[in-house]
Amino acid sequence: MALLELKGVKKIYEQGKIEVPALRGIDLTVEKGEFTTVFGPSGSGKTTLLNIIGCLDKPTAGRVEFDGRELGALSKKDLAMLRRHNIGFIFQTYNLIPVLTAYENVEFAIRLIGKHSKDEIRERVLKILDAVGLAGLENRRPNELSGGQKQRVAIARALVKEPKLVLADEPTANLDSKTSQEVLEIMVKMNKELGTTFIFSTHDPQVMEYARRMLEIRDGLISEDKRRES
Amino acid sequence: MFLTRLALKNLTRHRNRTLLTSFLIAFAVFFYTLMDSLIAGMVEMSYETIIDYETGHLQLATGAYWDKEEELPLENLLELDERLLSVLGNLEGKPAFLPELSFSARLNTGFSDLPVIGKGVDSAQLLKVFKLEGQFVEGEIFTPGEYRAVIGKRLADLLKLQTGEYITLLVKDKNNTFNTIDLEIAGLVHTVNPNVNNYHVYLPLDLVQQALDVGNQVSKVVLRLADRSLAADLAGRLQNSLNKDHPNITVIPWNQMEALAFEDVSHLENQLILMITLLIAAIAIINTVILSALERMGEIGMMKAMGLQTREVVYTFVLESTGIGILGGLAGLLFGAAAVWALVSYGMDWGAMMGGVDMTSFGIPVVGRTYGVWNPGAFLFVFLFAVLVSSLSSILPSYWAASKDPVKAIDHH
Repeated sequence: MALLELKGVKKIYEQGKIEVPALRGIDLTVEKGEFTTVFGPSGSGKTTLLNIIGCLDKPTAGRVEFDGRELGALSKKDLAMLRRHNIGFIFQTYNLIPVLTAYENVEFAIRLIGKHSKDEIRERVLKILDAVGLAGLENRRPNELSGGQKQRVAIARALVKEPKLVLADEPTANLDSKTSQEVLEIMVKMNKELGTTFIFSTHDPQVMEYARRMLEIRDGLISEDKRRES
Repeated sequence: MFLTRLALKNLTRHRNRTLLTSFLIAFAVFFYTLMDSLIAGMVEMSYETIIDYETGHLQLATGAYWDKEEELPLENLLELDERLLSVLGNLEGKPAFLPELSFSARLNTGFSDLPVIGKGVDSAQLLKVFKLEGQFVEGEIFTPGEYRAVIGKRLADLLKLQTGEYITLLVKDKNNTFNTIDLEIAGLVHTVNPNVNNYHVYLPLDLVQQALDVGNQVSKVVLRLADRSLAADLAGRLQNSLNKDHPNITVIPWNQMEALAFEDVSHLENQLILMITLLIAAIAIINTVILSALERMGEIGMMKAMGLQTREVVYTFVLESTGIGILGGLAGLLFGAAAVWALVSYGMDWGAMMGGVDMTSFGIPVVGRTYGVWNPGAFLFVFLFAVLVSSLSSILPSYWAASKDPVKAIDHH
């Protein structure tokens, strides 16, 4: 069943009087539970595509459906609510809140949903932190964690609310290869255990090894769409 | 609730900046409370100075006289008849009252002359109504019928006069005819009231009435009560009792007299100056929020990506600024309370601070120490105002940051 459907999606940025096309007409369907990478050279449109899929940006033309809902018709508030409940983000620079502990950074995401009891929240946060290998480090602040540990907190934050989709923009770009491997294995594990759909943008060949679907983007178009049997 | 917790935690994020901003707010609050106390103390002192030496607590004059009082006219005077004296003599509490005939004159020494305000009074009543008793630096008060006068020490210094020397008052009587009154200087007074020191010449009422040809009339009657808070009430009752036999007389309490009107204006000016102090605190808050927002732009982008709405991001910033306002406000109140306590208890000696200068020589009615006044309302007002300014001034910069496109915010450097 399709989680995402993009038809004829175009995105043009205006720089003064010059129009810069970032996406030139993307047609894409992503099924639930897929583990997909989007790769391509810098400036090819990877991040723009992820931003549109993640409801952070709107296309200049074309149609985007998320779980059967047409995004073009939604207000800013509706888009924020859709992100809050259905989409988790993992950023290259982690973007953790420095004054909050690892536990609180993860707790933040689930608190926003506002439908869980205090005990449920605690149970889920500790469980996900344990799953990403951070048991015992709950009370550490980001400045007391290594880069890999910070990214694990970011993964836990993205996953704790059990979103339908996790978008990761170059999640291993700031990590060494060993830590990258550990982080990717965690995401594969979560994909399998929770059935969460993952879409990555990356330059890293190591990431692509883990993906079951690889989308290559060049000049704002999908130039290759390969699937690998798990 | 979580956003509230986040906002409070953010207070500890840049401790030095939080402390510096809080300090600026604290200083503004401290300065406001101290200045408010000092100004209130000085206003209080000014009231007392004018009441004690110029206006008393209540005055009676004809309505027509009040209209031209500043010109010291010799028309529309008050007839000191038995019925009026009886009403005044039977007032509750038996307040002292002073019939006073004020007139313009030129004081001539034979070598130079100056414009002065003559006050024809009964010497015994003068000392009961105004606090001149202990203010004689030379000589003594005159007695009725004597051709003697009391003048301010400063006026005497200007004209190089001493007690025992003679002066001439050049006056115009009721019929606009020039007349002179020759007087020996009986005493010199030096008070906190510059008008008394510089312009007033006190002399026996009977001499003045004769010289001005006004019979038994006076300009006004000045009353001194046990407490100034009784004035308004007594003025109303006295007015009622006079309405029947003396419908032309108007009773005015001290706080409605023109001599005191300037105090309200100066108070307003001071409030404006103090508001500027708080505006500086607002600028400090705006600066802090903008710096915080710029530093946290990536974080704001992430929060918006997670689904926070603009108003929720603004809420965290506003709450953080409110926290800074509360911290600064409380610290300011604490320091302000200590300073006001010292001012109320020990006062401030302006003359000593200025190297022993007599402030009255500059026309500033301050002799000895100026004491502050406790004003809990000012404490509450300035605290709430500081917190409100902190909250409101953070809205615009935080809205600017929070309404940024999340993609641009995440990529912000």
